[in-house]
Amino acid sequence: MTGSKSADIGDRNQDSIFSEVTSIFTSVRTTIVVLCVLAVASIFGTIIPQNVDLDQFRRVASPFYYRLVVILDLHNVYRSWWFILLLLLLTGNLLGCLLQRLPRIPGEWKGVGKKGTIRFTLSDARPKDQVRAILAPVLGKLMGSSPSVVEDAKSTILIWVRHRVFLLAFPLIHAAIIAILLGGVVGLFYGVRGNIVIEEGEAGQDFVRYPSGDADTLPFSIAVDKFTLKRYPTGQPKEYRSDVRLLKNGEQVAEGSILVNQPLTYEGISLYQANYQLIGVKLVTLRVVDEQGKTAELVVRPPESARLPGTDYTIGIHSVDPGSTTRGPGADLNVVKTGEAPKRASVFRDDSAALQLDGVKITFGNYEPLYTTGLQIGYDPGTNIVWFGCGLLVIGFCLTLFTNLRSVTASLTSEAGKTTIVISGRSRRNRAEFRETIENEVRGSLEKS
Amino acid sequence: MTSSALTTYVVFLYLACWFGYLLVCTATPPQSAARRAMLGMLVIVWGLSTAAIGLRWIESYQMGIGRAPLSNLYESLIFFSWSIALALIIVRLRYRVDSVILIGLPLVLVTMGYTFFLDREIKPLIPALQSNWLVIHVVTCFLGYAGFTVSFIAALLYLVVKAFDAHGKYLPTPELLDEITYRAVLVGYPLLTVGIITGAAWADYAWGSYWSWDPKETWSLITWMVYSAFLHARLARDWKGHRTAVLSLVGFAAVLFTYFGVNYLPGLHSYF
Repeated sequence: MTGSKSADIGDRNQDSIFSEVTSIFTSVRTTIVVLCVLAVASIFGTIIPQNVDLDQFRRVASPFYYRLVVILDLHNVYRSWWFILLLLLLTGNLLGCLLQRLPRIPGEWKGVGKKGTIRFTLSDARPKDQVRAILAPVLGKLMGSSPSVVEDAKSTILIWVRHRVFLLAFPLIHAAIIAILLGGVVGLFYGVRGNIVIEEGEAGQDFVRYPSGDADTLPFSIAVDKFTLKRYPTGQPKEYRSDVRLLKNGEQVAEGSILVNQPLTYEGISLYQANYQLIGVKLVTLRVVDEQGKTAELVVRPPESARLPGTDYTIGIHSVDPGSTTRGPGADLNVVKTGEAPKRASVFRDDSAALQLDGVKITFGNYEPLYTTGLQIGYDPGTNIVWFGCGLLVIGFCLTLFTNLRSVTASLTSEAGKTTIVISGRSRRNRAEFRETIENEVRGSLEKS
Repeated sequence: MTSSALTTYVVFLYLACWFGYLLVCTATPPQSAARRAMLGMLVIVWGLSTAAIGLRWIESYQMGIGRAPLSNLYESLIFFSWSIALALIIVRLRYRVDSVILIGLPLVLVTMGYTFFLDREIKPLIPALQSNWLVIHVVTCFLGYAGFTVSFIAALLYLVVKAFDAHGKYLPTPELLDEITYRAVLVGYPLLTVGIITGAAWADYAWGSYWSWDPKETWSLITWMVYSAFLHARLARDWKGHRTAVLSLVGFAAVLFTYFGVNYLPGLHSYF
């Protein structure tokens, strides 16, 4: 993450355009600036109406503003050339910082890469090996591990590193963001989104792509057997459900129910419950009481009419009222007597005054609504790349939150019968406290023995 | 007692805590027994607010609805105030600064006070919210927001302390406030990230698209980018003090807009 500093200090005389460009991509200053610009650009996208019809917009906007919107794609900020350019710049910058930082990690892994932020020197009259025998167990206990040792004739260097796995957090987090952006690009190029509207009892295969509005065809057809809308007693919607079968070349390949929060996936293409529309009724049941007081049901299936038994009347459905009045649900009927002009009559479920035809009383019984269901279609091969990136990101954050990288180096050098002890160390957290502990333990153990 | 009544009591008890803190912070030295007693009382009140949330959960089951109390503006505000209070208590225990609580409690009070104007009835979930992702998404987001709130409080105090050179008896050192400003972001940032990821996962599951540039999504990303800039400035370019404090204020403004402002723009999150 210290990219820019080393790049800025680099020898300017030898700077070619190449290294100028490199320094832009490895600079954290670039990261900060790009993030801020992206943030501001994103704000525009939430204020300026998006995905508007440009022709309509042209009529209401001033010519200058219209031209600005068209050139900068302000009606489609998040897919505009300059927004994507910014995202590419961010990706390049992340990659640059990552590549610059990676080579340093192995050294730090071994505990030799970076200078310690804690450093002090002591001198001891005892020989090197004796000092080592005193210090190694003390520091080993503090660090919870045994040291790696670098030795030559004159000196011994003991290195302890704790929670070195933290060093993976930086590459993981930054590779994760690159993966997520990459997944987004794959989705942009190879993903398909769309919408299909199918009537109950029908099948559909042609859909409209989003956001382009182009027509497209699914590799299978969706037969919608039934759409159900359930409500809570309060009237709020509880469940939208489409029972579907998927057909390929006339053969059923899958079946199931699609609910909100419960999609159906086949061959990587997912179908989601998006919306519905009430377009009519499948059937209406009328309650019929004849002159003897016998109750029967008359079922009318529009657009067909039904003959009222024992009379010359046929009854058709003109329209259904799902219950807008206190008389409950009802219907407007087309009543036709053979040889007479058709009449219009209304019936309701909770109406005391029933419709009378030749002494037969008719009230509204029940109806089965006919819906169309709106299904969203989603196919995005980039999604798994995005989830992979998210996984890396979470692992990276866990490493930063739950580890505390610490290292201690004890370098012992024999000089003129004495041993010079240089202790250096690093701690990501509680630096002062760590320093105090190390100093106390080292000095204490040397004085005690 | 109903959860709604308990919540009302909690608001007034928080108010009492704040007056208590005002008193002991001006009248007694740091680490006095009176200050510790006030902390104890705050923890108890926070425990009561936890109980109120639990009670509302139980009540929803008794009503035959059975859902976590995290699904409308009223419930999210209650949970947000709970999270802020938790964050304040953690900061007090870790850094021993009472002034953060003194400034932070009014935010808890305002958040809870806002709920007095909202419908408290427990209603069943509409189909779009019937998902296990709801709980994890809302919890991570609001815990993240609480972290940012603490960072905001510390940054504000930092700027005040610096401007009036006022640290000493009543206020902590600017160095400590600067540290809290940074540490709180360090905790809030991963939580917000996980909140955004779980939201994306849920959106993918429910609508077939993990990201659709809905205003709330976009604003959460804006917030995320501001705090990303904050962390990079701090970690890689050694920004400290005044500049990071200002960035923390900007970040918190983005948090507030993500939470409240977005409701005035059309989008998928209209139930919050």
